[in-house]
Amino acid sequence: MDRREALRSVAILLGTAISAGTTDILFSSYTLPEGEKNAVTFSAEQLRALTEIADVIIPTTKSSPGAKAAGVGKFIPMMINDCYPAKQQQSFHKGLMAFEARAKKTYRKSFALIPLVERKKMLTALRQETLDQKANKNPEKADITYFFTVVRDLTSLGYFASEIGCTKAREYVMIPGSYDGAYPLKPGQKSWAT
Amino acid sequence: MNLNINLKAENTYDAIVVGSGISGGWAAKELTEKGLKVLLLERGMNIEHIKDYDGAMKNPWDVKHAGRLTEEMKRTHPVQKRDYPYNEVTEKWWVNDLECPYTEVKRFDWYRGFHVGGKSLMWGRQSYRFGDVNFEENSKDGYGNDWPIRYKDLSSWYDYAERFAGISGQNEGLEGILPDGQFLPPMDLNIVEKSVKESIKQKWGNERLLTIGRVANLTVPHNGRGNCQYRNLCSRGCPFGAYFSTQSSTLPAAMDTGNLTLRPYSIVNHIIYDKDTKKAKGVAVIDALTNKTMEFYAKIVFVNGSTLGTTFILLNSTSDAHPTGLGNGSGQLGHNLMDHHFRCGANGEFEGFDKYYTYGRRANGFYIPRFRNVGKDKRDYLRGFGYQGSASRQNWQNDVAELAFGAEFKQKMTTPGAWKMGFGGFGEMLPYYENRVYIDHNKKDKWGQPVLAIDCEYKENEKKMRTDMMNDAAEMLEAAGAKNIKTYDNDCYPGMAIHEMGTARMGKDPKTSVLNEWNQMHEVKNVFVTDGACMPSIGCQNPSLTFMALTARAADFAVKELKKGNL
Repeated sequence: MDRREALRSVAILLGTAISAGTTDILFSSYTLPEGEKNAVTFSAEQLRALTEIADVIIPTTKSSPGAKAAGVGKFIPMMINDCYPAKQQQSFHKGLMAFEARAKKTYRKSFALIPLVERKKMLTALRQETLDQKANKNPEKADITYFFTVVRDLTSLGYFASEIGCTKAREYVMIPGSYDGAYPLKPGQKSWAT
Repeated sequence: MNLNINLKAENTYDAIVVGSGISGGWAAKELTEKGLKVLLLERGMNIEHIKDYDGAMKNPWDVKHAGRLTEEMKRTHPVQKRDYPYNEVTEKWWVNDLECPYTEVKRFDWYRGFHVGGKSLMWGRQSYRFGDVNFEENSKDGYGNDWPIRYKDLSSWYDYAERFAGISGQNEGLEGILPDGQFLPPMDLNIVEKSVKESIKQKWGNERLLTIGRVANLTVPHNGRGNCQYRNLCSRGCPFGAYFSTQSSTLPAAMDTGNLTLRPYSIVNHIIYDKDTKKAKGVAVIDALTNKTMEFYAKIVFVNGSTLGTTFILLNSTSDAHPTGLGNGSGQLGHNLMDHHFRCGANGEFEGFDKYYTYGRRANGFYIPRFRNVGKDKRDYLRGFGYQGSASRQNWQNDVAELAFGAEFKQKMTTPGAWKMGFGGFGEMLPYYENRVYIDHNKKDKWGQPVLAIDCEYKENEKKMRTDMMNDAAEMLEAAGAKNIKTYDNDCYPGMAIHEMGTARMGKDPKTSVLNEWNQMHEVKNVFVTDGACMPSIGCQNPSLTFMALTARAADFAVKELKKGNL
C-alpha cells in the first residue's frame, strides 16, 4: 500500500466519525456571543469616513496604492465588531462620532467630503491630542484618542496583511524554496511581506 | 453470549497505544513494524496529512482577522489565548479550554492539542540530544532521583530516531553537553549570526559556541518527504511533509505495515487492571462524540497521552491493588512536575551589514549550548541554560515616530530596517517533589471526567539563573559589537514552554520511581510510559527527540519481552 493510499484508508476507517455534521458541531464558525456581537453598527457615512481616514494614514504613493484601494475601509469595522469587547467597540464608535462632529462643525461636511489637505490637518491635530492625552488624561478626550490609536493600528495591520500591501507595497514570495542569509540588498529593495 | 465473545475478540489487539503525538506515533510505528497488531487511540479528531492542513497555503490576505483573535476565540480558549501559539490560522488545533477545564492551584499555562498528531503538528521542532551531564546531574547534586540509564544506553536510539525523523544540524563535538548526531545538512546562519559566532569564538574560545539550530526540518528530500521550502509556516501543517510530525512520518510508516488501527475521538478514561495477572488488561474508553463507554484489550499498553494527559490516566486508574493510581506504590506519580523557564535574555542592534538582507523565511534559529556549571564553571545556582534566537532585518525603520502616519510612514514601513538579534535563554528547572498534579473531583470535563489540579512553581534556583540568562546574553552581544543592547525578563510561568515533564519518573528503585530503565512500570510490567512523564530531569534542551529515542528503545524491549513470554 503506498502512503497516499494508506492515509486515505485512515479516513475510510473513520468514515462516520468525521462526517460533515460532527465537524460543524465541533468547529462551528466562531461568532461573538450575543452580548458582545455587533455592539455598534456603522452608518454608510461613517464607513466612508473610516475609508478616507485609513487612506490618509496609508495613502497611495508612487510605489503602490493606499489603504482605500486595499480594502481597509471594510476591514476596520469588521475587526471592531469581531475582535473587541463591547465597551471598546462603543468607545471606538463614540470617538468616530466625535471626530465626524468636528468635521461637520468646522467644514459643514462629513470627513469623507472635505478636501485632502483638510483631512490631513484634522488627523495631524488628532495625533497630537492622542500623544498629549498620555499625560493629560482628559476624560472628554478618552474616546476620540482611543479611536485614533485603534484606527491607525488597524489601518496598518489591515493594509500590510492585504494583497496590495503584501505584493505592491512590500514584496511577497509565497514559496521561497531556499534561504540566503547574506542576500545583497538591491536598489529600491522593499521589505518582505510575511 | 457469542456476540460478547466476538466483541471481545474484535476489541483485542497485541498492543494499545494511547495518544498519537510525537511519542505515541513512534510507539505505533515501532510496534507495528515489529509485527504487532496495534490499536492507536486518539482523544480528538482526525487530521489527515496535507488534506486537512486548511491554513497551510493561505496568503496573509486570506486570513480574515490578520491573525488576531476574535472575542469568541478568547472566550472559548481562556488559557490557550495567553500566548502566541494559539492564533487564528491554527485555532482549531488547540483545545477548547471550556470543554476541558483544569484547576490552577498556581498559574500553569497548559497548552493542549487534541487531535491525531497531537502537538507534533504544532511543535517547535528543535531537536537536541541529552548528554551525560544531564543524565548524571540528579545523582551529583541530589535533586530528583538518579536516571536509571546513561547516554551510552540511548545513543544508538538517538541515531535511529534522527535517521528516520530527519534532523538537520551541525556536529560540534560537544560530547557530554550536547552530543553530535546523524544530521542532514545544516541550515545556514545569516551574515550577522556568523559574525556573532566569530566574536564569541574569539572571546571565549571553546567555552561558548554559537551553532545553527538542530531542527526536524528537512534540508534535503528524505524518506519520500520533500525538503523545507523556507515559508516558516510549519505550525499550520506542511504540505511538503518537510518537518517531522506523526502525519508526515510515523503514521504513514505504521499504516504501511497493515498492522495499525487508528481510532480518533477515543478518550482513555483509565487502564483496566487485572489483579490476578497483576497486569493491565486493556483500557476503558469514552467515545468523545457519543459519550458511550467501551473497552479495548491488549497484551501491552503504551501510554503516550502527553505528560499530564498520561499522568491523569494513571492517577485515574485506581483499584484495590493500586488505590492511589496505577503503579503508584512509590507515591511519586503526579509529582516532580517540571518545565523549562524562558522568556528571558537580551537583544541588540547591529550596524555595518546594511548591504545585506535575507531571502526566504528560515524556520530555525541559532543555538548556544549550555556553558554554565559545566567544566570548571561554577555558579551560585545549579544546572544551566542554553540560548535560542536569531538575527533578522526588521520590516520597518526604527525611527518611525510614535503614532506616525502618511506617505513617509508608509515608506518606512516598506523598507528594510535595522538588523536586530535576540537571545532567548531556556533554563533547566529542578525536580521538586511538591510541584505536582492530582485529580480534582470537584470539577468535571465535558464528558463527566474529573479534572487535573496543577500545583507548580519556579523556585529560587530558577530565579537566580535568570540573572545570568540576561547578563550572559548581553555580554555576548556586547562582545559582538551590538548597539542598543537591552536585557529582558518577560516573566514566565510553568507550562509556557510546553515542555512539561516528569510526573511518572523513571528510576532504578521501585520505592522512589514509577518506571524502570525501560520505561516499564515497576509494578505493572505490561504498561510503558515513554512521553515526557518519564523524565527524571529535563536538562535545558528541547526534549522531543529524547522522547522519540526512549520510545523506540522501550518498544524494542517490550516486543522482546513479549516474545520471551514475560509480558
